[in-house]
Amino acid sequence: MSQRDHERIEELLAAAVLGGLDPEEERALAEERAAHGDCETCRALERAYADVAGRLAFALDPEPVPNGMEDRLVERISAPLSERAPPLDRGRRALGALLAAAAAVALFAAGWAVRGATAEPPLEGVRILTFQGQGDLALVYRPGERGVVLIGSDLGPLPEDRVLEVWMIQDGRPIPGACLRPTDGRLLTYLDAELGSTEEMAVTVEPADCPDRPTSQPILTADVRAV
Amino acid sequence: MASRARAEGARAVGPAGGSIPVDLMDLAEARDRDLLRRIERGDEDAFRTLFRRYAGTALALARRIVRQGFLAEEIVQEAFLSVWRRPGAYDEARGSVRAWLMGTVHHRAVDAVRREESQRRRAAEAVVELPDPGEDPGVAVVEAVGLPEERRAVRGALEDLPAEQRQVIELMYFQGLSQSKIAERLSLPLGTVKSRTLLGMRRLRASLAELER
Repeated sequence: MSQRDHERIEELLAAAVLGGLDPEEERALAEERAAHGDCETCRALERAYADVAGRLAFALDPEPVPNGMEDRLVERISAPLSERAPPLDRGRRALGALLAAAAAVALFAAGWAVRGATAEPPLEGVRILTFQGQGDLALVYRPGERGVVLIGSDLGPLPEDRVLEVWMIQDGRPIPGACLRPTDGRLLTYLDAELGSTEEMAVTVEPADCPDRPTSQPILTADVRAV
Repeated sequence: MASRARAEGARAVGPAGGSIPVDLMDLAEARDRDLLRRIERGDEDAFRTLFRRYAGTALALARRIVRQGFLAEEIVQEAFLSVWRRPGAYDEARGSVRAWLMGTVHHRAVDAVRREESQRRRAAEAVVELPDPGEDPGVAVVEAVGLPEERRAVRGALEDLPAEQRQVIELMYFQGLSQSKIAERLSLPLGTVKSRTLLGMRRLRASLAELER
């Protein structure tokens, strides 16, 4: 390979790791590398520049981490049906108790809904939001409080490598809520989420690695503002 | 040899003239790799440790790029979630854990910025006063575990760049601007921006590699 080939690739790589390429230049880099073929020099350049770019973050002073962010994150990794299943510990047992309590609330409220009541739910302040679309899905929550329960039936069947991903639409942007896999078309799960400024909710079918933005059209939607 | 020098507790001189304890940085990296191995086995404590170590820097990076506290927090959470879900995605041959992790955060943040259609909207949001995180007495300050040696090294390497190269790299990395946008903003030919990027990155690469010898 000529030195000139590597200079062109190096120029593109150095900008790519900084996020400096426009989409057409990203394509140009991919084409250049494909035409160039796999080589150790290119891999070394990519490795070196990626490392430089990653380390640039340390030029910034770290920010204080908001209260509860770590626990919220750990609760997300502990959520049912996540891809990982670490051993039980004290924190997870506490979450289990919370889940049981939330499920009880959800079932109670759902039972009330099934009976066809139209007035205020028997649990003070509890709201039920029904999704429209393919299957039955409802969200049980108390406005202003963290934590919601999703109850669903007739969902799926899903291919092995797909999950349902719940999105909260805030300020016109989809914020990932959770990835779920129904059992026999049913699910009952607690989400550590606060609806906050959520305008709408949506559910899409996504690859099992739970992408951070939707890759398909919603199969279920709910208008939170209408509640 | 580098390994012998480290064993003797050698110190390297940084580009800004500071003395960098190279052996401490190696220890930090070894510890990070051990954390990832434990995370791969589902060790939640290891995950918490990695988070405490890098969340502050990750938040600073994400917030600098997206300029919205809520979105920055979401980006950092998603980046750490991806570590939990796929710790094997890290390849030791491709650099340090901390660089890989920050690369993940950076990529997500730049992606979020690019999704914002209107540059004007971003500018409007940028002038909204962000809450001073120091006002919250309950926050966990992470500087104690924030790799001060790495900070000194990277800042030194950046300061050592010619101003015009530093400017281009900072606009690209910390503001998520593409080379063409930078050329527009600075009224420079695109070729000039590209050459400044390459020269600056070559220099940074050399400076940071020098510190590790």
